[in-house]
Amino acid sequence: MAKLKRAQGIALVCVLALGLSACSSSSDDSGKELSGELNLFLIPSPSSTSIQSFIPEFEEKTGVKVNVSETPYGEAHQKQLLSYKQKAGAYDIAQFDNSFLAPFCQSKAMTALNDWVAGSDEYDINDFGQGQQDYGKCASGDTYGLTLSTEPMIQWYRTDIYEKLGLKPATTWDEWYSNAKKVQASGASGQLIGFGPNVSWWWMTMVWSFGGKLYDENLNPTVNSAEAVAAVEYMKKLLAVSPKGAITANGDEVTSKFLGEEIGAMLNYSGYYGMALDPAINKHAGKFATAPMPKGASDITHLAGWNIGIPSDAKNPDAAWAFLEFVLGKSNAKKYLESGAAAIGRKSIISDSSLQEKNPYLPQLEIPSSSRIERYPQIAVWPEFEVAAIDAVSKVLTGKSAAKAAMDALNEKLKSILANEPK
Amino acid sequence: MIALRNNKRTKISSAKPTTAFTAPTWILLSLTIVFPLLYGVYLSFLNINLGSFVPSKFIGLANYKLALTAPETYSTLLTTIELMLIGLLVQIPLGIFLAVVLHQNLKGSRFFRSVLIVPMLLTPVAVGLIFRFMFDTDIGIINWAISQAGSDGPNWLGTRNSALFAIVIVDSWQSVPFVMLLVVAALAGIPTSIYEAALVDGANKVQVFFRITLPLIVPTLLVLTMIKIMDFLKLFDTLFILTRGGPGNDTTTLGLWTYKTGFIFLEMSRAAALGVIILIITMPVYLLWRKASKSVR
Repeated sequence: MAKLKRAQGIALVCVLALGLSACSSSSDDSGKELSGELNLFLIPSPSSTSIQSFIPEFEEKTGVKVNVSETPYGEAHQKQLLSYKQKAGAYDIAQFDNSFLAPFCQSKAMTALNDWVAGSDEYDINDFGQGQQDYGKCASGDTYGLTLSTEPMIQWYRTDIYEKLGLKPATTWDEWYSNAKKVQASGASGQLIGFGPNVSWWWMTMVWSFGGKLYDENLNPTVNSAEAVAAVEYMKKLLAVSPKGAITANGDEVTSKFLGEEIGAMLNYSGYYGMALDPAINKHAGKFATAPMPKGASDITHLAGWNIGIPSDAKNPDAAWAFLEFVLGKSNAKKYLESGAAAIGRKSIISDSSLQEKNPYLPQLEIPSSSRIERYPQIAVWPEFEVAAIDAVSKVLTGKSAAKAAMDALNEKLKSILANEPK
Repeated sequence: MIALRNNKRTKISSAKPTTAFTAPTWILLSLTIVFPLLYGVYLSFLNINLGSFVPSKFIGLANYKLALTAPETYSTLLTTIELMLIGLLVQIPLGIFLAVVLHQNLKGSRFFRSVLIVPMLLTPVAVGLIFRFMFDTDIGIINWAISQAGSDGPNWLGTRNSALFAIVIVDSWQSVPFVMLLVVAALAGIPTSIYEAALVDGANKVQVFFRITLPLIVPTLLVLTMIKIMDFLKLFDTLFILTRGGPGNDTTTLGLWTYKTGFIFLEMSRAAALGVIILIITMPVYLLWRKASKSVR
């Protein structure tokens, strides 16, 4: 009897153990066992909010516990770099800005996602355009980050103002300026780009579009080329057909001004469309539309947006990939956009007519193959480069310096900055 | 000999409790101030870049050489000094004026004393954000008010001079109450008999102020000036929210430049060297402050 009871006890323990293990681990689509915890490092943004909305379902499906740590943009990348440097293994998934891809690539701070991406039908890399496929790639060709948002700089214009004045969205920079002048003459502000602390976003776009480059393949600065100087002179011309406050406006303020004031058109990243869906900010709902950027000597698309990847010191990389595949895969792509995130730019999403109704900007995310994609310069010294450029362009805009002189001085300064780029 | 030994023992026994009682404070101060300070100095001799995973190495005075030859160090130092001078010229006289008025104990003084210290209680970041909206050229209330008077307001944050002025306005709004409070306390310490004697001698209000009040509060004003100088040297939050150092780098102070070097450019060792330079600049001010504090005591 005692033996029987003991055997029953052992059997019960075995059943319980099996049950518990079934609860605490699961397998991903490739059949690998998933278990334990996942630590997510996210940066407060609509994308982060959207990612978090998928956590309960993922936890229920896999039994993997997901913890989230959110850090504001201003200190997020510094915190990540410190953690990776110490090989602390603190995070399994990390969201980062594309401008930080270069230091991450140089320090091999992230895991190459190549095999996972190539082998996943659920993620389906071919559902993305070439620009989005390459967006998280290092110079070595390794993919260190998936595209978390596709945010090309696009043209936004007020349909009511343009219709009244018989204008069409600009296709060239001359048309853009001429439209702005006509709108300005009608009493509204002609156009808006940010001439404030984020002026570098528009500056590099103009330099590329005017046919210039920021630096050559040997990292020699080229910001004083004829094309680059012409771009800065054009920006100065635009200042005269902008609202007064444009000189100090940052990216957010550019958007809120366009959505709240009487301004004919603006150039800004498509990722700001989320603000347009907020009735508290958008006073012109239904009165504006989007169009591709005007073209200059070069047909370029300035592509920006978030990346997300798996740090090389992650403790649970398989579960991390399973999570990324779950959130950013094809099955949940629609849900991801509907939960408020900036669109990732899958072909199947961009062309979805039901989604286009609420997000009429989606077709702008389809970047034509004829357009050269430019993203934030992939150099580790970019932050210092950018601050120097902002200072120089501001000197031109505030009338302290002529464009050529300011760009010559900037070019000289950038030589020493670019010389510090790790080889 | 025995007497000498006893004397020694007394000295040792009287010294021991003091050391024991103050030891925790010294340890705490060492951990939170002395160690980070020395570590900062140590970092300034290395080449640490947060974005580079290459092991750091000793590079001697290279970071100092770089800092001292960079034009930004001097232009941002000049901005810091300009802000400091304009700020002091606005805040100290205004604080004295308000303190003297409140010291008269006129009707409503208590109410105004409470109201005037409210700005001191607010977070600089929140204050900076609110003022940024108020200074907005297109939708700000300040330019709206100016336009009601029939003229166009300046582009407050769009040019160097007006942006510096705007920063001083915001900082003064928060700092004048502090100046006022300290001066009120100093005024309360002046015996009324001196004023009574002056009135008997036929002195008018202006003479009383310049011959009695002002000389007697000079030590307090010295301390205040030193505190304000140190405040301006480390001015960050209001400035960061209001202008981010712009347009360009036009309103970037040395402190903000140090922040940008460390946390935007990720050049930690270069930022540490700039920090040490700020420390060296602040040192004489600190010594003057100590001297002034002693004279107040």
